[in-house]
Amino acid sequence: MASRVFEETVLPHLDAAFNYARWLTRNDAEAEDVVQDACVRAIRFFPSLRDEDARGWLFAIVRNTWFSRVSRRTGAANALSLDGNGVDPADGALDPEARLLQQNVVGRVRAAIEQLPVDFREALVLREIEGMSYKEIASVVRVPIGTVMSRLARARDRLSAVLKPSSLPMERVR
Amino acid sequence: MRCDDLERDLDAYVDRELSTDSAAALREHLATCAACRLRVADRHVLGRLVRSVPYHDAPDRLHARVAGRVQRVRFVSHVLTWAAAAALVVSVGGALLLRSTASRDDAATVEDVVDSHVRSLMAEHLFDVRSTDQHTVKPWFLGKLDFSPPVVDLASAGFPLVGGRLDYVSGRPAAALVYERQKHTINVFICPTSEIRLGMTERSLRGFHVRHWVRDGMAFWAVADLNDAELTEFARALQAT
Repeated sequence: MASRVFEETVLPHLDAAFNYARWLTRNDAEAEDVVQDACVRAIRFFPSLRDEDARGWLFAIVRNTWFSRVSRRTGAANALSLDGNGVDPADGALDPEARLLQQNVVGRVRAAIEQLPVDFREALVLREIEGMSYKEIASVVRVPIGTVMSRLARARDRLSAVLKPSSLPMERVR
Repeated sequence: MRCDDLERDLDAYVDRELSTDSAAALREHLATCAACRLRVADRHVLGRLVRSVPYHDAPDRLHARVAGRVQRVRFVSHVLTWAAAAALVVSVGGALLLRSTASRDDAATVEDVVDSHVRSLMAEHLFDVRSTDQHTVKPWFLGKLDFSPPVVDLASAGFPLVGGRLDYVSGRPAAALVYERQKHTINVFICPTSEIRLGMTERSLRGFHVRHWVRDGMAFWAVADLNDAELTEFARALQAT
């Protein structure tokens, strides 16, 4: 019976969980693995979910699952910075597919977000794409609200520097 | 409020996480400072860009695999977990009902417009332009938005236009038109959309009713504490113009 409630409360957020995991991992296959593992944990932890927001609760599990996978794999803390100075992916080394993507605006935006350090990237995705409040983000990421705000500001400053929003012709059309 | 202060509050303002007082001070500054207006506008454009990236939906096989796991768990579930689950249904059932009947975006936007509606009534910032004349209200938006919202008076249908203001829907600038019905205030939020949607969506949240429709590239959200039938009547009257 608990499983029926799980289906009704948690499964509706599976797409959102995958989207979040995909932005964290930047990789389809890995995002799928992370979400599947996270769901196994979520089923186990489910009785501990009370009247919290189920989406935020699932996101926190996705995030923990991914962090523990990465730290197990690299065995080092340096892969994930919590101060935003993490290891960026190779900026210059875009593969042909990525280069093709960059030719359109959406591709450029996606690439620019993917280049952000993970702390900035997740704050931006949770705010802009998932529409979460600072408080909700703070509870998923487990940092103070002020940190959420400064990560968002820095994410947007970096993105602005790359995308130069005021110069994009697309915005005149829409 | 100076440009330096805007630096500090810019994101909280754009995300509407700023206190009403600070937001009002910031808006006052924006009225006189073109450079800061541009910075706010850039943030909004940036938000739209980020949201233009397609959502990564979970692949079907992942849905199937997770659902399969839940099914297996079902056989071993037990009376105690049932009791915990029952408590959960009572506590979050209401919120989830809304989530599951509306799409993810819709539910978030409904919350957004209801919040804006409430804020407009509480902060007594209902109007930027107060006029019952549509020919005064419409031009007022000129130069303040990058689109021209349709503005019509519905006094003949029993819903007089009383004014308008700038507001935000999902972080995007929107025109808010204010109508009245007896003592009730109706906010209509209008912003451009690329979505194509037929018919009218009806939602309710925290005692407010919401009607949403799309016409000619504009998304409309009508919010009020009117009764359901009256708000539908209002929405139909507006759509008929």
